[in-house]
Amino acid sequence: MAQDEIERTIRRMAQAPLSRRGFMHATTLSASAAFLAACGAKSGASASAGAPASAAASVEASTAASAAPSTGAVSGDIEKELFMYNWGDYVDPENIEAFKAKFGVTKFTYDTFASNDELLTKLQGGAIGQWDVSAPTAEFVPAMRDQKFIQKIDFTKVPNAKYIEATFKGVWWDPTNEWQLPKDWGTTGITLRTKVVKEEVKTWKQFFEVAPKYSGRIVAVDSPGDVFVAPLKSLGYSLNTKVPAELEEAGKILLAFAPHVLALDSDQYNTKIATEEAVMGLTWTGGILELRDDPETADTVYRIPEDGTLFWLDTWVILADAPHPNAAHAFLNFIHEPEVQAKETVTNQYATPNSEAKKFVDKKMLDDPAIFVPDDVLARLEGAEDTSTDPIRLDIWEEFKSKIGQA
Amino acid sequence: MSATAGVAATPATRGRPRRDRFGDLVEGWLRGHTLLVYSFLYIPIIVVVVFSFNATNRRVTDWQGFSLRWYESVLSDTVVQGALLNSLIVASSTAIIATIFGTMAALGLQRAPRWFRTPFEALTFISIIVPEIVIALSTLVFFSSAFDVLNPLLDLRLRLGFQTIIAAHALFNISLVMLLVRARLSGMDRTHVEASYDLFATPWRTFRQITFPQLMPAIVAGGLLSFTFSFDDYVITTFVSGAGSTTLPLYVFGTIRKGVTPATNAVAAVMLLITLSVLLVGQFLVWRNARRAGQRGAQASVAGMIAEQSG
Amino acid sequence: MATLARAASVHPVPPRRSFRAGLLTAVLLLPASLWYLVLLVVPLAIVVVMSFGTPSRIGGFDPVFSLDNYSQAFERSTPFVTSLVMAIAGTVLCLVTALPLAYFIATRAGRRKSLLIVLLIVPFWTSFLIRTYAWLTILGPDGLAGFIGDLIGDPAFRILGTPAAVLLGLVYGYLPLMVFPIYVTMERMDRGLVEASKDLGAGRLATFRQITLPITLPGLITGSILVFIPLMGEYVIPAILGYGRVFLVGNQLVLQFLEARNWPEGAARAVVLILIMLVSVTFYIWFSNRGRKGREVSVL
Repeated sequence: MAQDEIERTIRRMAQAPLSRRGFMHATTLSASAAFLAACGAKSGASASAGAPASAAASVEASTAASAAPSTGAVSGDIEKELFMYNWGDYVDPENIEAFKAKFGVTKFTYDTFASNDELLTKLQGGAIGQWDVSAPTAEFVPAMRDQKFIQKIDFTKVPNAKYIEATFKGVWWDPTNEWQLPKDWGTTGITLRTKVVKEEVKTWKQFFEVAPKYSGRIVAVDSPGDVFVAPLKSLGYSLNTKVPAELEEAGKILLAFAPHVLALDSDQYNTKIATEEAVMGLTWTGGILELRDDPETADTVYRIPEDGTLFWLDTWVILADAPHPNAAHAFLNFIHEPEVQAKETVTNQYATPNSEAKKFVDKKMLDDPAIFVPDDVLARLEGAEDTSTDPIRLDIWEEFKSKIGQA
Repeated sequence: MSATAGVAATPATRGRPRRDRFGDLVEGWLRGHTLLVYSFLYIPIIVVVVFSFNATNRRVTDWQGFSLRWYESVLSDTVVQGALLNSLIVASSTAIIATIFGTMAALGLQRAPRWFRTPFEALTFISIIVPEIVIALSTLVFFSSAFDVLNPLLDLRLRLGFQTIIAAHALFNISLVMLLVRARLSGMDRTHVEASYDLFATPWRTFRQITFPQLMPAIVAGGLLSFTFSFDDYVITTFVSGAGSTTLPLYVFGTIRKGVTPATNAVAAVMLLITLSVLLVGQFLVWRNARRAGQRGAQASVAGMIAEQSG
Repeated sequence: MATLARAASVHPVPPRRSFRAGLLTAVLLLPASLWYLVLLVVPLAIVVVMSFGTPSRIGGFDPVFSLDNYSQAFERSTPFVTSLVMAIAGTVLCLVTALPLAYFIATRAGRRKSLLIVLLIVPFWTSFLIRTYAWLTILGPDGLAGFIGDLIGDPAFRILGTPAAVLLGLVYGYLPLMVFPIYVTMERMDRGLVEASKDLGAGRLATFRQITLPITLPGLITGSILVFIPLMGEYVIPAILGYGRVFLVGNQLVLQFLEARNWPEGAARAVVLILIMLVSVTFYIWFSNRGRKGREVSVL
């Protein structure tokens, strides 16, 4: 009987993708199985009864625990602590202080990660139950939901969510609107120093055509999800495609482009553009707006390519087994109070999905098409899917990365 | 950094004019090389400190005038201060653990039989060979699995945090200290140790009065390097840290995406100030101790023991 | 009593047969052994298990036994070769830089010895990342590259993004790891030997070669290992100072573990790397110890 139990569990686990928990149970079970095998049938009876019982118990415990997060929002008082795990400098410190004051939260820790991959890898490695709130990019939400890293948000506690614009609701990454709350959004586009680059570069196609002329002075963000957008869109394909033939075509363009790239840099591309080390870029908007405002580098432009590009959305999530679920919900609600959200927008220089907050943002920013992309343009942009584990893309990406700057 | 004149004078006293000039050349070259290396090491530091006074709020290298605003901002930013404090706690603990256990292991390894020594040395190598990201990820998996088992079993609340970071850092550092101490041990003069045992001193006494003073440079070097490695570590810390245990490198990496502002430079400059002051104090204490213990060399210890035996 | 004394003078440690001596050895080795067991052997076992798995759709891995990862690890091995070249070059540069420095501090610095040693390491207590970014300024178009570019009339002259910049960064980051072991052995050297050698008429070079070098050899070897091995896994410096154009095995591993979340392939590659390094380092030590006789069986 114990034998069947084990076999069933093994079969079940072999089908599911392995998380750290699953791995742990694999080892427990294999240890128990080994134990069983070692102690013969009769004499090992008591031992074998013990081992599978604990294995079964631990499996049950895990399923019970993983079922719990969906009802994680416990009604009750707001805890005195909040643990945040977020990108660096992504929440206005004054807002944090205001939150602490308003809800009597005495301990607000802010730990940082440098990429979505880091967040995911850590959660996959087992760092669950450590933090309350995080802000991954939207395309990773389905994966986090499937692997039970996040819990459903109890929106009765987050009434300010009603201000979220319809464009950001019911999107493919969270069709039921239960798992995330939009934070801010932006685009990936072309940056140019028009002082140097006199050609017309309004599409990705033109971008690649002009590239050889400025060989060694082009910079791109170190993100496969963004870099693949350019060739795919220049060919007219969906930027989320998994069709091998389409990806191969895009790969050819990328590999031809690689020798002209100065660097893949997600952090310092704006500096390189400011010093004219690079005059063309496949970038986000971070830092570009400052360059535009600076008289010395005022010739910098950021363009949303006409043949299409992606828009990205960062989202608030509540992590599974959050130690302080009530405080987490309170924070989510607080951050979307219109004036608080407006402050976030101005500090971070990213567009807000909160329609009410827009009323408190100064007009100059609202009118800036680089930040607040006009609706008609936005409608033509695609949201990115999580293609980070697609083997074809990874192969191309690895080759691309290793050929940067090689003649 | 002026060399003591005494040593340089030796070739001159030999009375061979040709050797003199060559000797001076070598001395000059040695001194010049040292100066060059230290300049090389400190140029970025100077750049960092200079730009920490940059009044700009944009790119750190865009000089906009002199200002102390970034220091004000750092001194009032509790997140940065928290990260700095965490780094200091982790690094000091790691250094202490690594120095003690590493030295013990180096001493013990001398006496260990071959069948133990070889696999142990192999493990030492492996701990240095393993790429950080590999050990970081696998250690995280190990910790989380272990906690998942131990917490319900023993009703504990083990979590990722300071202890896990320190434990993970200590691995590499124990090996580091051990290697340094062994390198030192291998060149050590054994006669005093033998004399000590001949006089029936206990191993502890021998260690304290003979071996330890001679190993001091290696132990101190190991401690310093351990502290440094731990303080500056990013990869391992990223993976095994928990809530509230963000260290300075993690914080800096996290904010780099928003741009390197003079604030980060100010943080570095403050760190420099702290360490230099600690150094000055430490140097003063060491100098005072050295003066007091100056005459106590190994001979004195042995002589002392002889006196005790016969007395 | 007399036998004991004689035995003690032949073996500098108490005879192995003594139980207390054995206990002492065990106690000395216990903490480090525990650390290795729990925090090295077990995680590595996890890595090995991982390397035989297959990547799951969303990252992480399935415990399905497969040898694919190992065959994959042997393809696309150019980064390994690049890493090897960079690591060797970096180690040699560190050696050449560290040797005179260590010698100077050990023999010429007198009372300032410890101060100089600590001053060597103080820069490393400010954030590594900030210092590396400082190099971006120093070597960038606003700094050295611009200066040299103006001098030779080439506006596109660039230092950053080249192997030279990476090597500079590597030496900058790893110098203490080379200096400390060398210093530690040199400082112990009995100056009397050098004096005796010179009194016997040996020239500077001969003295250095036959007296100084052999005594400091353990330090040289330790330093080379401490620098070479981490250099093989280094990826941050090539990413920042090399503009990612110098693609090393460390970058490859990070790509697989972090970006691709393909743990099995990353694990397989890591296992292969570790084995190769283990074999080479063992060989290196055996080779350098060949000529040495004496009680010390190994440099460590």
